[in-house]
Amino acid sequence: MCRLCSGVTALTLFDLVKRSMRKNIKHYYLYFFALILSVVLYFVFATLQHDTAVAEQGTGTMGTAFQVAGILLIVIAGIFIVYANAIFLKRRSREIGLYQLIGLTKRAVARLLILENMLLGIMALIVGIAVGMLVSRVFLLLLMKLIGYEAFIEVSFSTAAVTQTFFVFLAIFVLTTIQMVFTVYRNSLLSLFNSEKQGQHPRKPKTAVSAILALLGIGLIAFGYWLSGRMLNAMIFFNMLAVLATVILGTYLIFRVTISWLLYRIRRSKNGHLGLENSLSLAPLMHRMKSNANSLTIITVLSAMTLTMTAAAYSMYYSTERETQAIMPFDFMFENEAGLADDISEELDVNGISYQREAVETFVVPAEFEEKPAPFLERATDIALLSSERLQQAGIEVDTPKNGEASFHDVSVATLFNSVTLPFDLTLQDEERTILSITEIAQQNVLNWSFFTSQIVVNEETYQSLKEQLAVESGETALQQMDGFHIAEQDMAAASAIYQQDKYKTSDLHVDYYSSYEDAVQSNGLLIFIAGFLGLVFLISTGSILYFKQMTEAEQEKQSYATLRQLGFTVKDIMRGIVRKQAFVFGLPLAIGLAHSIFAIQAASFLFRTDILFPASVAMGVYALIYLVFAVLAVGYYKKTVKAAL
Amino acid sequence: MTTQNKTITQKTSKQTVLQAHNVRKSFGARGNVQQVLKGIDLRVAEGEFVGIMGASGAGKTTLLNVLATIDRATEGTILIDGADISKMKDAELSAFRRNQLGFIFQDYNLLDTLTVKENILLPVSLGKMKKQAAEAQFQSIAKILDIEALADKYPHEISGGQKQRTSAARALINQPSLVFADEPTGALDSKSASSLLGTMADVNKQQGVTIMMVTHDPLASSYCSRVVFLKDGNVYSELYKGDKTRQAFFQEILNVQAVLGGDSVDAL
Repeated sequence: MCRLCSGVTALTLFDLVKRSMRKNIKHYYLYFFALILSVVLYFVFATLQHDTAVAEQGTGTMGTAFQVAGILLIVIAGIFIVYANAIFLKRRSREIGLYQLIGLTKRAVARLLILENMLLGIMALIVGIAVGMLVSRVFLLLLMKLIGYEAFIEVSFSTAAVTQTFFVFLAIFVLTTIQMVFTVYRNSLLSLFNSEKQGQHPRKPKTAVSAILALLGIGLIAFGYWLSGRMLNAMIFFNMLAVLATVILGTYLIFRVTISWLLYRIRRSKNGHLGLENSLSLAPLMHRMKSNANSLTIITVLSAMTLTMTAAAYSMYYSTERETQAIMPFDFMFENEAGLADDISEELDVNGISYQREAVETFVVPAEFEEKPAPFLERATDIALLSSERLQQAGIEVDTPKNGEASFHDVSVATLFNSVTLPFDLTLQDEERTILSITEIAQQNVLNWSFFTSQIVVNEETYQSLKEQLAVESGETALQQMDGFHIAEQDMAAASAIYQQDKYKTSDLHVDYYSSYEDAVQSNGLLIFIAGFLGLVFLISTGSILYFKQMTEAEQEKQSYATLRQLGFTVKDIMRGIVRKQAFVFGLPLAIGLAHSIFAIQAASFLFRTDILFPASVAMGVYALIYLVFAVLAVGYYKKTVKAAL
Repeated sequence: MTTQNKTITQKTSKQTVLQAHNVRKSFGARGNVQQVLKGIDLRVAEGEFVGIMGASGAGKTTLLNVLATIDRATEGTILIDGADISKMKDAELSAFRRNQLGFIFQDYNLLDTLTVKENILLPVSLGKMKKQAAEAQFQSIAKILDIEALADKYPHEISGGQKQRTSAARALINQPSLVFADEPTGALDSKSASSLLGTMADVNKQQGVTIMMVTHDPLASSYCSRVVFLKDGNVYSELYKGDKTRQAFFQEILNVQAVLGGDSVDAL
């Protein structure tokens, strides 16, 4: 008998599922959208990961980068879907309650939901993979363009990608199923019927404690920012952890206490005369601040992370050429190898490559820095002296210092000198202990060095007098003959191939501008692609979560809008208040996230020799623009709700 | 037919606040039109407390919505304070509601996120009323309705009767020409209900506020100065309280209601 009855239930249950899905498309589309979007993005990623063209291009680092990004992607997709499901379940709790009210057992309701979830999941997988196949080609083309790979590429259907996507979403499906079963079994009928009305009521904050915590939140962030500018010392790892901890805790306190505290003070000062706009922004915000604190903190921290990641990656990609040029002002260079320089000149001639060969003379002498921003400067260290006039003739852009003054060129340590006040003294370790005054820290080398030496540029007159004196003292060994080559733009690849032959190799570090540039473009291109892809996924998830939350709030507040319109407020009046609330809900996480990332980028700017203001601003601007699309969507949804309220 | 209760002794000295002429309202599309209001004529003078009664489906709420400018009549003219609301645009209607009308709802319709005081001051928030004037107005109304002590409480912290008083205070804050009340006692226990109705009657008498109240409760309508009975979209009859006691008026209302609802008994 039990068999029979369960069989009958299953049949009707399936009918019920079909019917309720058809009728509730409106409720489902949100969850369904989240599912499909996650499948599409994950599938595209998996396809790229398994693509032969990518695999051929990639070396070991590329594979690891893809793997790490893949795990992050799964985590984000999981959180996103579970969150969307939670909202979806809350919206449907009345329906779930109704099924139980008409006599379905909890078991049957759970089965109904699981069946639905399964159908939705299968449909999302099919649709998502189909869409993913269409768009993965676009992403592959983008990736190849970014890493400078120019060849015809064919996206092949990847069974491995399909299987991988299937298993990832099977795991997520198990998660959402557990979540659904929990909702059915853990909630009483009454709470299911009332869950739409839930929301905490603002309590009067305990003034003293709140005030202290509120200020502590601001203080922690300020301290984190302050410390982020002073991290570069022996305790760098500890400093980074401290910055992260204080800023995240500060952000949480800001959302949990500071804002409620400030809003409460503003509200109290109004003494009941709140006005319509505040009634629609300040009051509901205070009402929900407690439950929103966690998600707003997570969204802010995620936004800050994403912004920092994409801004840094884009800055690296953007400044690849200038960074490489700063390290290697010549296309390639021979040090005391005039013979090899002659050979390569001949070979370049034979191949019809136009080039310019520049002989630059330098001599190396130990010197002591007055300012010692790095540990290796504690002792006297070798420096290379060069003449500015000769460098200018060789096509290197460099200013001519005055007599007795010098400019410092060493991109690897230049940023360390940022905090040093100019000018400072450089004492040469010659017999006369000549003092040069460093008046400029340049962000650019003047020679391609295969080893680590700071280059000091003085004017021709100073150079010649020092040379005479030092040649007597230390003999010919200090004098070095450099042969630098400038290659015409169109011949760079060919020249690089010639230079990279073994016969020209004199040391392990056999680098030329072109091949370094190509390598940098490839790794930075991959970096910006992965950062951009992950950033997009983070952005879409956080934006959607905020949008879903606002949709739910709009529905919960529908009655208020009906009342307000009845009282004689127009849609326009009401929308002014709502726009203010949206500006707060979307704007605050963005603003705090931006501030965090600006300080993070600033702290990391020592990695860059070039100015990254432009690329970082572009990346942040694009992020903010896409993010604002969600705010506009939310406002649109509110407008629809307010219009339909009466 | 024992319903010859129409009194013709209307006090013409009072100014007309609301004048409705041949108001009709139909719902539904072509082919399936349902006429809910079938040509209603109604005049409300300043200082009146008019009750609208009728069985479910008689058109009470539809009439209230149409008169209160929330819904538009299909036909007919409605003048409130001499202004023809059937010719107004939506934005004008909103402004009109905000400045000239007050509303009390069955479910209070207070905003949960606002305190009692903030709720009450909401209607004047866009107006030109100065803050001091609004504050003074609030103080006097809160005193009349006996909710001064609740000013900083949230709706979830007070009782149904207190909520409805708050709602009434909100309706009165902008000194409206006409207050519409839709089953204001529908969700209240009998004690809170009679207390609220007593206050409404006091406000009506002492402040001269004109009130139109829809109710199906004869006890509630016995507080009115006039009761209009609707039946199937028409005005069926009217009762004036005059100098009668409330108990006598209540008895009269019950009599009319018995006749109103008696059709089905006749049919048996």
